[in-house]
Amino acid sequence: MYQYNEFDQTQIDERVAQFREQTDRFLAGALTEEQFRPLRLMNGLYFQTHAPMLRVNIPYGLLSSKQLRMLAHISRKYDKDYAHFTTRQNIQYNWPELAQVPDILADLATVQMHAIQSSGNCIRNITSDPLAGIQADEVEDPRPYCEIIRQWSTLHPEFSYLPRKFKFAVSGSPKDRAATEVHDIGIHMVRNSAGELGFEVLVGGGLGRTPMIGQVINSFVDEKDILSYVEAILRVYNRFGRRDNKYKARIKILVKATGLAAFKEQVETEWHTIKNGPLKLSQERIDRVKNLFIKQPYLVEKEPCLNSLPLEQALETNEQFKAWFKQNTLAHKQANYRIVYLSLKSPNRPPGDITDQQMDTVADLADELNAGEIRTTHDQNLIFADIHQNDLYYLWQKLQEIDLATANIGTLTDMICCPGLDFCSLANASSIDISQNITQRFKDSTTELGDIRLKMSGCMNGCGHHSIGEIGILGVDKKGEQWYQFTLGGSDSEASKLGQRLGPAIAKENVTKTVEDILDIYTENKQNSETFAETCHRIGIDSFKERVYGSR
Amino acid sequence: MVLVENNQLQVTDSWHSINEETPQITDKSIVSLAYWLENKAELTNHKGKLGLSVMGDDELSQFSNELNSFDLVCINFPTFTDGRGYSLATSIRAAGYKNGLRAVGDILPDQVFYLSRVGFNSFELANTELAEFAITKLKEFSVVSQPASDDRAAIN
Repeated sequence: MYQYNEFDQTQIDERVAQFREQTDRFLAGALTEEQFRPLRLMNGLYFQTHAPMLRVNIPYGLLSSKQLRMLAHISRKYDKDYAHFTTRQNIQYNWPELAQVPDILADLATVQMHAIQSSGNCIRNITSDPLAGIQADEVEDPRPYCEIIRQWSTLHPEFSYLPRKFKFAVSGSPKDRAATEVHDIGIHMVRNSAGELGFEVLVGGGLGRTPMIGQVINSFVDEKDILSYVEAILRVYNRFGRRDNKYKARIKILVKATGLAAFKEQVETEWHTIKNGPLKLSQERIDRVKNLFIKQPYLVEKEPCLNSLPLEQALETNEQFKAWFKQNTLAHKQANYRIVYLSLKSPNRPPGDITDQQMDTVADLADELNAGEIRTTHDQNLIFADIHQNDLYYLWQKLQEIDLATANIGTLTDMICCPGLDFCSLANASSIDISQNITQRFKDSTTELGDIRLKMSGCMNGCGHHSIGEIGILGVDKKGEQWYQFTLGGSDSEASKLGQRLGPAIAKENVTKTVEDILDIYTENKQNSETFAETCHRIGIDSFKERVYGSR
Repeated sequence: MVLVENNQLQVTDSWHSINEETPQITDKSIVSLAYWLENKAELTNHKGKLGLSVMGDDELSQFSNELNSFDLVCINFPTFTDGRGYSLATSIRAAGYKNGLRAVGDILPDQVFYLSRVGFNSFELANTELAEFAITKLKEFSVVSQPASDDRAAIN
């Protein structure tokens, strides 16, 4: 876990005081809604369909048990006993009262949490690989660099009134588990031929109504120069990004209009003027941040805890446990340890939702078995990163008791889904009921169908990442009715890829049937152990079209 | 408009703008970029102090060579959400300009802390009440976490 210091505490306490004062002025009529809007958005507060929505940051998806208990407390005290994890590793409350938001922020600040820049036209939460530090394929743990970028971006005086929102994702592994290619800036940790550490920097990726894959602007920026490099990108964007049309204001539009080569030249001209200034990172600073990530000692031998069983025995004796082990746990770089996913995709709750009681129990289990650490993923699940294999059986039982052991990670029912029309004032169509219908239909066959990434958004803003789903579903409005546009063949792993449009939008009542048709084509055509994505790529989209539209 | 300069309320503004109504150049005149580009030779010889008024999207290269001949640069904010002036101010300070830098136009008291960090030392607010309030906002944060034009030490 990263240990926050007094400096961080002072900064967020002062931010709470500032926001309290701004909220008071708005409620007293001294700030207009137009004036208050960007100020509240910069603090994660939207005005939604039923109530304000507050988005709280979880920097690079890392939470302590103490923080999670506070999130549970807030859901009980100020909301409706639950919260929702987002695709950018954050958490959202859907029912707070505006007048109470400053108190919520004050409570959050007691555990060094906040909503600073979780929305608005500024630099958003820095996201990262949820498996950082625990996978053998990693070049380097990206989290200390995420933290360095987080500090630099926090309350940045120059970049708080950008043309549009700005998102960073950082990955330390060649396997992209942070969707870096669909971020405004994606950063990959790499080593050059001399073995030196640096970053490959991508720019101009993004989802939303004009989805684009980021392009490499520089294939090797020395680790000490990363802040000056990204500052140069932001400065060029802030000066030249379009401000006349919010749908054309993201950096991806600027990069496309300018051309990558010309944009790179602008950025690097600026970069060379600031490269050797105060943004240059010293080795001492990098080491200091690295040392604040306290590593857990791993145990080679560990007796099973009370009510647990040695792993091999548990696998032999319990089929249900075995299915969960296979689907929801992953190999760890440390022998005898496993990475455990806590599925927030039970058939009984909307995707990504978690209750206060679940949060409290997860916090207790994290203390008991995982050194008090919880990670959030961009697939809207949770992870315990360091579970000894002899604790798995016990943990599985405990997770079953709180409905977080659905054995479906990476499968169809582990779908990504935004809150949709039920909550969001931007949405054109509902997504939660659609996801629940699909889940009910496929909950028994989901593991049999294998790895399938289904992603769904209730509008083209694309919070549910539909454009990069192997099956993407986008809610659209047609003359006041909710329709759903399907895409197939998208990807967010290794190289991101945008899905292809299947055909005309589908009526709401036919959505589950359409998913069925698509999966039938897959199972009929599947060769050997081909995954859905592989079959889809091999046979092409036309085979699916015929089945889906031929029958109508 | 009420001016806050160097953390204090200024009752009167000693500068005046050259425009169609007051075309007469004085010892403290603010000229627009277009006016300055057109009358550069004449204005360079003028003995009084000169201020330059620019928009956030004006190119610094148009006046960077003569930056230090100005005693004041005013950057206009057409709306308070237009952040271009923050980057222009940063670039002006980075180019070595040390004289007055003023934020004018649509400015909220909530913005003066950031504006002061990117290099502005004066701000125009809509009225005295807002100007006085803005002064209290200049000290809103006691710590900063990145370097900027104000040279405050980032602590982390």
